[in-house]
Amino acid sequence: MFSGLIAFGHSIWSFVTPESLFYVFGSTLVGLIIGALPGLTATMGLALMTTLTLKLESSQALLILICTYVGAIYGGSRSAIMLNIPGTPASAASCLDGYALARQGHAGRAMGIATSGSVLGTLIGMFFLALFTPLLGELALKFGAYEFFWLTVFGVVISGTLTGNDPLKGWMAGFLGLFVACIGQEAIYAFDRFTFGNRDLAGGIALVPALVGAFGFAELLSVMKAHQPTVKINPFDSVIPKLVDVTRHWRTILRSGCIGTFIGVVPGVGEDVAAWSSYAAAKRASKEPELFGKGSIEGLMAAETGDNACVPGAVIPVLTLAIPGSAPAAVLMAAMLIHGVQPGPMIMIQSPQFVYDIVAMMLFATLGILFYGLTLTKLLIRVLQVPQTVMVPIILVLCTVGSFAIAGRLFDIWVMLGFGLLGFLLRQGNYPMAPLVLGIVLGDLLEKSLRRGLVLSDGSLAPFFTRPISLVIWVGIALIIALRFEAVRGLLRRLRPGRAR
Amino acid sequence: MNLDKKVSPQADFIAAWLWVAFGLVVVIGAWRMDRLESRGASLYTAPGLVPGLLGAVLLLFGLLLALRAARAGGHRLRGRSWALGAEARIAATRVGVFLVLGLGYAAVMVGRMPFWLATFLFVSLTIIVFDWTRRQLAGQAPRGLMLAVTVGAGTAFVVSYVFQEVFFVRLP
Repeated sequence: MFSGLIAFGHSIWSFVTPESLFYVFGSTLVGLIIGALPGLTATMGLALMTTLTLKLESSQALLILICTYVGAIYGGSRSAIMLNIPGTPASAASCLDGYALARQGHAGRAMGIATSGSVLGTLIGMFFLALFTPLLGELALKFGAYEFFWLTVFGVVISGTLTGNDPLKGWMAGFLGLFVACIGQEAIYAFDRFTFGNRDLAGGIALVPALVGAFGFAELLSVMKAHQPTVKINPFDSVIPKLVDVTRHWRTILRSGCIGTFIGVVPGVGEDVAAWSSYAAAKRASKEPELFGKGSIEGLMAAETGDNACVPGAVIPVLTLAIPGSAPAAVLMAAMLIHGVQPGPMIMIQSPQFVYDIVAMMLFATLGILFYGLTLTKLLIRVLQVPQTVMVPIILVLCTVGSFAIAGRLFDIWVMLGFGLLGFLLRQGNYPMAPLVLGIVLGDLLEKSLRRGLVLSDGSLAPFFTRPISLVIWVGIALIIALRFEAVRGLLRRLRPGRAR
Repeated sequence: MNLDKKVSPQADFIAAWLWVAFGLVVVIGAWRMDRLESRGASLYTAPGLVPGLLGAVLLLFGLLLALRAARAGGHRLRGRSWALGAEARIAATRVGVFLVLGLGYAAVMVGRMPFWLATFLFVSLTIIVFDWTRRQLAGQAPRGLMLAVTVGAGTAFVVSYVFQEVFFVRLP
């Protein structure tokens, strides 16, 4: 207990340098702007920032990425409240009550609620991150090839089920991602697969250009579809959070923080589901559910606490299992790998200090959003007025340079463009992007685990289905898939005891 | 390309068969892959095992999607109008123009001419193309032109300087 606190103190102290603080406030601001601009998501921001921070020391690069992540999720609330347009999908739930409050002349108060909810949500998630990472890390040591195989499948399936509105298409996107990870030389015999004799493809599809394409270029194409008129911002009241809004809703804050963190831990699900789940739970428990959607402070507080609590939650499985809890966390994990940090079950044994470093980074990011939540509001609102025709080409330039910067290959720019087009077409067909990203990130682990497991068991599939943890995970997967079929749901309805009577 | 918000069963039906074809190609490709028995590889470590399984899953999902789309009437392709509405046509034009400009920049210009020049031309041209009608209607054409050139030059300078001098990245 005390050793953990001491380690945490060391981590905080290591970031109290002018350089680190500059990165904290700079990257939180970048995150906030990306999050506030409709159409640009946290995942895209992180993918772009990963390419910009390649040359930095790993701890500084990860500090920038975490601050961007937290800033972007918080920043989405700005446009949700002022424009009724969620800056990121995570802020969609905030539109309901945030914009209603703004229309009643309480936009400043709504932004104050968003600030306090986001800050407290991140702090609650951070607490669980520090508490559960060592515990989950210990449990993860029991995981072998069989469990990891099922865990990767579980991640893709649950992400496909919950992130879009069509699970079948979500699963297809996820399995496509897993296949993309197979392109290039495989790990055991260095055998070229699906490379068509192309030497650049033999090295595989580089993760970051693919993510920059799927989230950057594809998003820009989606943004350019519609002409966005110049935004007019109405005057607003004070943005300083009111203590009474926090004290009156402490139960909602705690509940939403716990829900958000838990949703974050579930592989590949993410902040938008966390926000909606927290919102729904708050509405069920509220004494004034009729106010939800009409300017409920409780509703806005729940949504904002839930989505920001999800951020540290999504990092927990990254650190302990090397399985991301959300799409931005998948990019964060990719960045860790690029910087030579190997997340996974051994992390608490090999580099326990790193876990506390991440917790400290979250704390600094929280300070960053608190600072910008109380100040610079007018400047941030003004960013919303920058025409998309100016922002979009600049972002494409950054996507291009960023993709090239990783390995100095023009081929990576082609990968970015190819995945951008693919991502755009998939979006038009209502295929969610989060499972695709998760699949690309987890493909390597899935393949290694399956082949290793089969070699260990000499081709027997029995351990995949009979080992206790494997059994729990595959039964979970089977249930998730089976419950999507009407025939199975009908059968379950008929089997209900109440119904039978 | 479907630029309407809702995906029609017909579009899903066509897409499903593309998925089926893709899954089939992957399965065949994986099946025909060298199993490396000469190098002592067992069936479980054959390079085609995992892509083959994934291809089979995609094929299966494609068939499920085709079945679902057919149940919703997606297989009745005749008599369905594929013409886009006015709004979707404008959206398609905007996406098409941006795609041409973006691909022209990232795939053609970058690497073939100085990076700063390519960036300046792309950013300025994109702003002019997408902002021109609005500016002209507002009688601000010269101002719009000036803004486009300034933003283009500024982006070219800042990005080139920051990447080369701050991040020490060699530009294409």
